[in-house]
Amino acid sequence: MTDKLNPKRIAQLLTQSTRQLDSGTLSALSNARQKALQRQSVRVPVFTLATGRWAHLHLHLPFSAHQWLSAGLLAAMLIIGTSYWHHAQEQQIAELDVAILTDELPIEVFVD
Amino acid sequence: MQHSMQARKLLIAVFLLLYMAGTTAIAATISWQSLSPAQQEALAPLGQQWDTLPEVQQHRLLKTAKRYSHLTPEQKQRFRDRLTVWSKLTPEQRMAAREKYRAFNKVPAEKREQVKQMVKQDQANKAQQSVSGVPATPSTNSP
Repeated sequence: MTDKLNPKRIAQLLTQSTRQLDSGTLSALSNARQKALQRQSVRVPVFTLATGRWAHLHLHLPFSAHQWLSAGLLAAMLIIGTSYWHHAQEQQIAELDVAILTDELPIEVFVD
Repeated sequence: MQHSMQARKLLIAVFLLLYMAGTTAIAATISWQSLSPAQQEALAPLGQQWDTLPEVQQHRLLKTAKRYSHLTPEQKQRFRDRLTVWSKLTPEQRMAAREKYRAFNKVPAEKREQVKQMVKQDQANKAQQSVSGVPATPSTNSP
């Protein structure tokens, strides 16, 4: 019994059932299908951030996994880049400080 | 359009928060007691005031202390002698001093040496003056 209920068989059964519907129902179904297709063609993926009081806040954000992955990679690269830059700056400052504190010239020469 | 602006603002806010989290993670207060013996030795002149120093300054001083063990005895002495004066400067004064030092190092070595000799001479004259109480005659003015 279950062997016969494959997708192809189900499609055949639905087609047969559709033929038995009256013209009014068919027409209503056809209209509903067209409307649904129209709505689908203009819809943009929507990401809801919150519910309740903030439920109105719908944001159009990258939706596909590839887009999320790209955004994540970009964010990670930015964070790593800025951290590295910050670290390099601090190292440079420390080197300068040691140089000033240990130079042959007194500190007053460099300080106003 | 409004939604995309909101999304952009949100992404910027997320990046800023992540950046702040990254930079403040390394900027936590460190008490004098929690410093290692090597760090305490390098920063000994600041022992009394260490806990009152701003976090950023503490972290920078700790970075300089890392290099302390590689210094010669003479450099170590200078480092300790100047540390208190250095820590009392404002961040702007320290930044200006770094810029001046950087600029001075771009001057040709020959001229740098001349300046060093002039400063040494000046220091020697002042030392002599403080001992004898009589202003030293600059050698350059002698006939």
